[in-house]
Amino acid sequence: MIGFIILVTFLAIIVVAFTSITQKKLADSIILFMGVGLGSVILFFVFKAPDVALTEAVIGAGISSIIFLMALKHLGVKA
Amino acid sequence: MSLKRELPTSTMSGFALSGILVLTILNILLQNSWHVGTRAGDELLKLNATEGVANAVTTVVVYFRGFDTLGEIAVLFIASLGIGLMLHSNTQCEIKAESNFMLKTASKMLFPIIMLFGIYVMVYGHLSPGGGFQGGVIIASGVLLLLISDKSFEVPHAMIVALETFAGVSYVLIGLIGLLVIDKFLGNFLPHDISEMGLLFSGGIIPIIYIIVGIKVGSEMSLIVQNLIKRCENV
Repeated sequence: MIGFIILVTFLAIIVVAFTSITQKKLADSIILFMGVGLGSVILFFVFKAPDVALTEAVIGAGISSIIFLMALKHLGVKA
Repeated sequence: MSLKRELPTSTMSGFALSGILVLTILNILLQNSWHVGTRAGDELLKLNATEGVANAVTTVVVYFRGFDTLGEIAVLFIASLGIGLMLHSNTQCEIKAESNFMLKTASKMLFPIIMLFGIYVMVYGHLSPGGGFQGGVIIASGVLLLLISDKSFEVPHAMIVALETFAGVSYVLIGLIGLLVIDKFLGNFLPHDISEMGLLFSGGIIPIIYIIVGIKVGSEMSLIVQNLIKRCENV
């Protein structure tokens, strides 16, 4: 069961990452990048690293995506 | 028209590269999952018992690699300084868009809970997963919620300066006291008995240092978020 979860999460991360780099709009790309972070949270937790999972959830999926979005707003690109 | 003609070559090569990466990672995982031997982590876990801290990761981050953590704090401070220098302006600037009623009401209810959770993660960093960095960023995300919901809210600058100065100075002071008392920079000079492992007051200086790190990270991330979100259009 755990192996199945790991496999599905790995495949989902790769699909989401590939969709993220092929998006036309930069804002969509950032939101999908957040999805990559969430998938890694599940993987870190399953591999018994709750400290790293909490750090990834807070920093990787949370505040860095927000900082990317705000930087995109400052650049003035039509998102 | 066949599928092969529709997809460009770069897309196909991307799929192939992803497939090779999946196979490699799965191969490494399957080979190493049942392998049990002596690793660096086992040695650190044995050493961890001497400090009386339940969370081994905290012992490594704050005690065995305490000097590196001081450097990370300095790096974060320089990043905050750079963003402030580039984006800060003296004129009063506000977000143009008005937030709606739902966001305003929900942020008032959620902000105390987010602050409480951030402080819990910070204070219990030596007992459960978490610590100063994570707790500080959770507090900064609560400040972000207030910033996007309330147009007139500003992070009090004098308080941030006071908190950041206090945290930075006391980290170095604790290290110097350790150098004076037991001849070791950032040495654990407070009592840290192994029989107290798992209690809130245990581990000597380790929880104190992690709370200091949390205060510094929280204030710096709040300033970064405020500088990014508030800026005049005609600067």
